[in-house]
Amino acid sequence: MSAVSYLGIRHHGPGSARQVIASLQALHPSVVLIEGPADLSDQICHVADMAMVPPVALLAYAKDAPERAVFWPFARFSPEYQAMRWAIANDVPVRFIDLAASVTLAPDQSDDAIPADPVARDPIGALAHAAGYEDGESWWSDVIEENPDPGALFDAIADAMIALREGHMPDPREALREAHMRRAIAKADKEADGAVAVICGAWHVPALRERVKASDDNALLRGLPKVKVQATWAPWTSPRLARATGYGAGVAAPLWYDHIWENGTGAQADALWVARMARVLRDEGFDASTASLIEAVRLTRSLAAVRDRPAPGFEEMRDAAISTLMMGEPLQWRIIETRLLLGDQVGQIPDNLPLAPLLEDLQKQQKKLRLKPEALERELSLDLRSDAGLARSTLLHRLTSLDVPWGRLIDPGRSRGTFREKWALAWDAEFAVRLVEHLVYGPTIEAAAAGRLAEAIRGDAKLADVAAKVRDALVAQLPEVASIGIERLDVLAAETDDCALMLTALQPIVETLRYGTARDMALDRMETLLDRLIVQAALALPYAARGLDEEEAERLRSLIASADQSIALSERGPAVQTTWVSALHDAGLTELTAPLVGGLAARLAYEAGRMSAAEISNLMSLRLSRAKPASMSAAFFEGFFTNAGLKLVHDADLRSAVDAWVAALDEEAFDESLPLFRRVFSTLDANERCVLLEALLGKAGGGIVGSFAPNAEELWAAQLAKLTEIFEGTP
Amino acid sequence: MNDVLRQPAEVIWKAEIDALCANAGSKPAGWAMTPQAAVTYLLGGEAADGTQITPKYVGQKRLIETAVATLATDRALLLLGVPGTAKSRVSEHLAAAIAGDSTLVVQCTAGTDENQIRYGWNYAQLLANGPSDEALVPTPLYRAMETGKLCRMEELTRMGSDVQDTLITVLSEKMMPIPELNKAIYATRGFNIIATANNRDKGVNELSSALKRRFNVVVLPLPDDIDEEVSIVTKRVGEMAQGLELPMPKNVAAEVARVVTIFRELRDGQTLDGKTALKAPTGTLSTAEAIAVMVGGLSQAAFFSDGVLNADGLAPNVLGAVVKDPVQDKTVLAEYLETVVKKRRDYADYYSVLTEIL
Repeated sequence: MSAVSYLGIRHHGPGSARQVIASLQALHPSVVLIEGPADLSDQICHVADMAMVPPVALLAYAKDAPERAVFWPFARFSPEYQAMRWAIANDVPVRFIDLAASVTLAPDQSDDAIPADPVARDPIGALAHAAGYEDGESWWSDVIEENPDPGALFDAIADAMIALREGHMPDPREALREAHMRRAIAKADKEADGAVAVICGAWHVPALRERVKASDDNALLRGLPKVKVQATWAPWTSPRLARATGYGAGVAAPLWYDHIWENGTGAQADALWVARMARVLRDEGFDASTASLIEAVRLTRSLAAVRDRPAPGFEEMRDAAISTLMMGEPLQWRIIETRLLLGDQVGQIPDNLPLAPLLEDLQKQQKKLRLKPEALERELSLDLRSDAGLARSTLLHRLTSLDVPWGRLIDPGRSRGTFREKWALAWDAEFAVRLVEHLVYGPTIEAAAAGRLAEAIRGDAKLADVAAKVRDALVAQLPEVASIGIERLDVLAAETDDCALMLTALQPIVETLRYGTARDMALDRMETLLDRLIVQAALALPYAARGLDEEEAERLRSLIASADQSIALSERGPAVQTTWVSALHDAGLTELTAPLVGGLAARLAYEAGRMSAAEISNLMSLRLSRAKPASMSAAFFEGFFTNAGLKLVHDADLRSAVDAWVAALDEEAFDESLPLFRRVFSTLDANERCVLLEALLGKAGGGIVGSFAPNAEELWAAQLAKLTEIFEGTP
Repeated sequence: MNDVLRQPAEVIWKAEIDALCANAGSKPAGWAMTPQAAVTYLLGGEAADGTQITPKYVGQKRLIETAVATLATDRALLLLGVPGTAKSRVSEHLAAAIAGDSTLVVQCTAGTDENQIRYGWNYAQLLANGPSDEALVPTPLYRAMETGKLCRMEELTRMGSDVQDTLITVLSEKMMPIPELNKAIYATRGFNIIATANNRDKGVNELSSALKRRFNVVVLPLPDDIDEEVSIVTKRVGEMAQGLELPMPKNVAAEVARVVTIFRELRDGQTLDGKTALKAPTGTLSTAEAIAVMVGGLSQAAFFSDGVLNADGLAPNVLGAVVKDPVQDKTVLAEYLETVVKKRRDYADYYSVLTEIL
């Protein structure tokens, strides 16, 4: 029998970590027990590996169902992590004592490993809040660390927890965990011939110290369902530590904690933090003078005094910085907050560790396809007709749909439907972490990509988004997902009557169909769906184009332009084509249509042969007549000629209608329309402009002739001399 | 009853200030009370002897703490914010609490010149005897430096940039040279400056960065949530009605809630439930204006409507606060009335009165 010391910690609290190490030094226990899955104790030894750099996460998943997985993230400043390192460095046996992962991951256990009650989750943070602190660590350093004796400190925490837990009824899961820990502690206590140190969340200390009959605990823990578990370490990132949901550690400001761990508290540390703040501010393009930094540090002291706190903490740092460095603007703080507090640290794990399943799958495929992950960007050109090319493209597409943009398609719009794909490859350490997380969607890259896309499709209510995802699924060679998507599209298309939504969806669907020809897939249903969407959109178009403000009109205009292109590319049957063109015709003719949209619709109908040249020039002169407000005429003109200035070169009737309109504009209206003319005519090249001018003014330039002044040569010499003087700066 | 229309803060709240001054604790040199007591004076609470302290400012505690902490160093304080966010009020109460004197005020305008900031001359004396101490006319800033009190500069950005920069030496070296007398005055401990400026107005003179750097800035925001704003308006309206000897009908709180709702919805450009987007009018529709609308309504109720406070009396005041630009704001208000107010049964009276006078 020996003494058991309970070191109740704040998970991920640097202050706790420091105190834990001090206590372990003083205690020098014969065994260290840590709150963590008991069956994963054999993973602890890897912490000592020099190649392991936190943030890292201990990962466990059911062998037969990898989508059931749990992560335990650790940062450099996590007390558990520091305790493991201390034990290994001092050659003290160290074990996890919490409920085994094989039980936690069993199917009938709820997978919520995190207590729902915020007080149970971070009781010290809750105490800090009650004391008016926003940041638990500042409270810890102000209140807890004022006490210099670590032994007494942990007693004090235990007392506080007893008070907090008064009347608390642990839920069944918590009861199980605490029973398991109690039993493991009792066992270690019996075997050990020295002190036993237990490092666990402060919340559990009262329950673990409680005297409970061993037989009661055993009865509780008997016959729990179990699964086979695989475990390994995975890299983690600092922003992920900050997430309060899922597997995040709920550390609001990981880099601030990192700073406290690294530099401690005190004048020197404060100055360092303020300097870091200044650097981030400067990087973001704000001023931060050294004098202001001095004032910031002074204000933190003064603020701490006003708030009756022994030393400035996180809040004082923030408030002082806002007041002295940011002109009182909280907005600036919000701009730098992410970089300053979350950072972009990515952890590393040793090479000899087994990899998380998705990473392993990726490595296998990388080897097979001879694609090396490299941080520097390089280009890769793929021929989709070859098996190797198709396989590589598929892998890259699947990774993209897993939010791992290792490859980025260059110029995707133009090369669609051809057999070539051009990628820019660049690997980022962060990608590995994302892959590890996506284990929840499936154990292989194919399964995970399919799972994630299918989930997104089911959750999405926007026609265009679903259409885009169907395209993604097809290029990623996931036909089952694509057919789920097509079904969903069918349902959504039946429900929607929003013309803009349907138009947006056309492009990805047409692209999908064209891809289908390059990739050998059955897409009959898509064909039917497309016809239906086009007809629906055509029916809605004339009404959707009414009563729009400038911004909306411009949006609809570009939508119609790209939809028309897509429809032309898709080679629909004549009936569908006719419906679409009639819709354009109707929209172009009626004056109720927003003029910008009307102009485009009229032109497209004209190009499709639905309107004759005479009709179109009639319409043009009607819309551009003087009786109409100049702004409406201009909008119609813009809609008609944007990206189609060439029409004027070749079409004499059209040209004369426009010519008459421009000539009739009064000076003010003309000035107002100048940018518009420039927009329209700048799409013509020099030669086309020449042709247009000739057509308007006649071969000789319509009498506009220039000639040299009679004494040009003499004048030029004097001018040249003056110019040289100006350029060379000679007086 | 005193004949003075409005007493300075240190007279009105003398009892509270005296109680807080007795609070134990270390006071910075020249301070009448401890910094903690000053925060309590602004935000309300209890003095050490049990005196209840009424809140003078309702809002974020950390802003007031930052303001007091700034004054406890030798840095000057700049209170920034849109009009009607209690900048001047906070400045007055800070001066009253810390220095016991809120009357050393310079109202900065486009016409303020250096003589009104540094010192002026009694020209009769000057002509008769030449420059002398007797001929010198001190300004509030001068007096504050001499006596170690707080000087308040209202609407700092309204005066010309060249005049603003007069403050640089005073702020960094805490002294003011008087070359005419070949001497300088040095600030007594306790001296500091509280400036206010609003960051919405056009036609103001931006602070030079040299001057900016010498201020710690606290931005006072518009109230975060409607309950906070309703309680601010109700409280201030109560105080002002008492000062003006206006009776307070029972339904004031309910009317405040309705007026504040209208103000907030128009100001934020969306309804409180976040479901309908609205156009925002050109005015700021600050809390101070909501207070003015209510006091106007109270006065109308007391003198013209037999003490009945209702939409008939309040709506015209609301209209005046919202419609600052006769063309643009009228359509904004009309749209708001038709799309939002019309559907709310409990606002029917506002709807009918406002549509009628619009």
